Amino acid sequence: MADRILGGIALAITLAYAFFAFMVIRAPFQYDPLGPETWPQILAVVAGLCSLYIVIRPDRRGFHLSHGTLGRVAVVVVLLVLYAFLYEPLGFILATALFCGVLARMLGASAIRAAVFGICFGAVGYLLCVKLLALNLPDGVFSKIL
Amino acid sequence: MNEVFAGLYQGFGVALEPMNLLYVLIGCFTGTLMGALPGIGPINGVAILLPIAFGAGLPPESALILLAGIYYGAEYGGRVSSIMLNVPGDAGAIFTTLDGNPMAKKGEAGRALSLSGVCSFIGGTFAIVLLSLFGPMLAGIAVTFSPSDYVALMVFAFTCLAAMVGRNPVKTLLGAVLGLMIASVGIDANTGVARFTFGVPDLLSGIDFLVVVIGLFGMGEMISLVEQMSSGKMNVLKSDKTFVSMKDMLAVKWTVLRCSIIGFIVGVLPGTGASVASAVSYGTEKRLAGESGKESFGKGDIRGLAAPESANNAAAGGAMVPMLTLGIPGSGTTAILLGALLLFNVTPGPLMFKQHPDIAWGLIASMYIGNVALLIINLPLVGLFVRLLTIPLKYMAPLIAVLSFIGVYSIVSNPFDLYMIIGFGVLGWALRKMGFSLASVILGVVLGNIFEDNLRRALSISAGDWSILLQSGTSILLYILAVLILVLPPLFGYLAKRRAAAEAELAASAVD
Repeated sequence: MADRILGGIALAITLAYAFFAFMVIRAPFQYDPLGPETWPQILAVVAGLCSLYIVIRPDRRGFHLSHGTLGRVAVVVVLLVLYAFLYEPLGFILATALFCGVLARMLGASAIRAAVFGICFGAVGYLLCVKLLALNLPDGVFSKIL
Repeated sequence: MNEVFAGLYQGFGVALEPMNLLYVLIGCFTGTLMGALPGIGPINGVAILLPIAFGAGLPPESALILLAGIYYGAEYGGRVSSIMLNVPGDAGAIFTTLDGNPMAKKGEAGRALSLSGVCSFIGGTFAIVLLSLFGPMLAGIAVTFSPSDYVALMVFAFTCLAAMVGRNPVKTLLGAVLGLMIASVGIDANTGVARFTFGVPDLLSGIDFLVVVIGLFGMGEMISLVEQMSSGKMNVLKSDKTFVSMKDMLAVKWTVLRCSIIGFIVGVLPGTGASVASAVSYGTEKRLAGESGKESFGKGDIRGLAAPESANNAAAGGAMVPMLTLGIPGSGTTAILLGALLLFNVTPGPLMFKQHPDIAWGLIASMYIGNVALLIINLPLVGLFVRLLTIPLKYMAPLIAVLSFIGVYSIVSNPFDLYMIIGFGVLGWALRKMGFSLASVILGVVLGNIFEDNLRRALSISAGDWSILLQSGTSILLYILAVLILVLPPLFGYLAKRRAAAEAELAASAVD
């Protein structure tokens, strides 16, 4: 069943892709015989055939996920989005400390250990990457001090 | 032959520069570390560390030496978690668990670790010797390839991929096409027409290769780790003082040689890497061992441990051959290395040995050094890596996420990319859960533009006549090979089944 759903989603995406490939993309003028639309058209046809095959003859492989696991994955994704959202405004150190602390706590570390881990990782990671490797990371709220 | 020695001479000149030597050692060490961590394989290690190497502003040859070190270092390290934890780091290490873990349970952990270390070294070095001998030769042939030959080569590569990787060829093919579709987003270089950008300015220059790689292999891996967390506690077996003996090595010498050859050949085939190589070699050795093999394989037979370990390291070297000489990666991880070369504006392919001999030969020479270094690192220091296995997942998952964020942000500093890697992470996790091979997706992404460009160039030459694709001997040969790869394995399977049925019938009639 899961395979059918996935094949269906793939088919829907392919149809949308094919719509653009066949109806929208046009070059105002071109020098080579294949314009920008031919390649996507070929891909759309192959992808369409593959997804149709999966819909018609799915594997017997299910998508075994308990609600608890699915919930945990969802929470992790939300945490990641929040981390991305706060990355620039708060800066690397604070955002990382928060993210690592909360995630480690959620995955079963004790509150104190999670907090220590988060703060250390944020600070050490920043020093290592910015000072030693000269990578570019957001300063955020500490921009005046650093 | 002279060309090879001259090249190696130049290569060792590059690889023995103090800084590059340091990068080889750092790469091998980090690679072993990454490979030894449960759940993280070579492809994840290279994906996570590639942008950091890129962002740190290393010159291309040093960055490539570092990344390649991580790659084959991780192939070495993968055996540690397989043997001690019974948890393979990636698909290539699954077969190491079958006999490696029983050995460790019998109290021969040290023997298993050192034996597999030596086998890895032999397999790896064997592959590099062949790489340095045949690489320039193959490149010499590939120089004469026309655009239509390249199209045939791509078709061959994707056929190999579909036929040999993953359980369901249609899913593997769909994954590859998905990768090609991802690569088609952005402005078309020939006409300047925007494709599939939907007015989002961040997409005009296409979806960044690094974003796809880190999303699929960094974030996706992290989500998988979190998902699997509750599935029981992991028991690290104790390392002990047992060690591999000369007698052991003599007992497996033919196994190691055979499996190194199998591994190298499978590695060279475009698209198929260590996972296929170790599976094929384990199966072959088990069959060759006959009756005694049926009993002992899977219960701690040293041949069953030596086979996959020599094969997967030989495959890692073999996969470099098509990448360096044809510009077509031999495995998922070399696809990432190829992408790394493109980031540095070095186009891998037949001309690389001529245009950038310092990079091509420097890399090859560094692999000789790296393999020796890995043997030295892995025999005495293996206890250290075993202790690292005890890093709990609750700290590892955030670690991978933060490294992925650093990697993506430090290069373009665009917060939009952070959301993109999360999206690709979820996609990668879901695809893997459904039995897709992510290596095929990344191969599609890397080869997308090359494939399209060559097709368009071929048709420009023929002014739109599609029959040009079938006009040269090289391309016809490649299409025939592609058809054979599709048809032969099922045919052999069918014949074997029929023979078995006929024998059973014969036996039944004899009883009557």
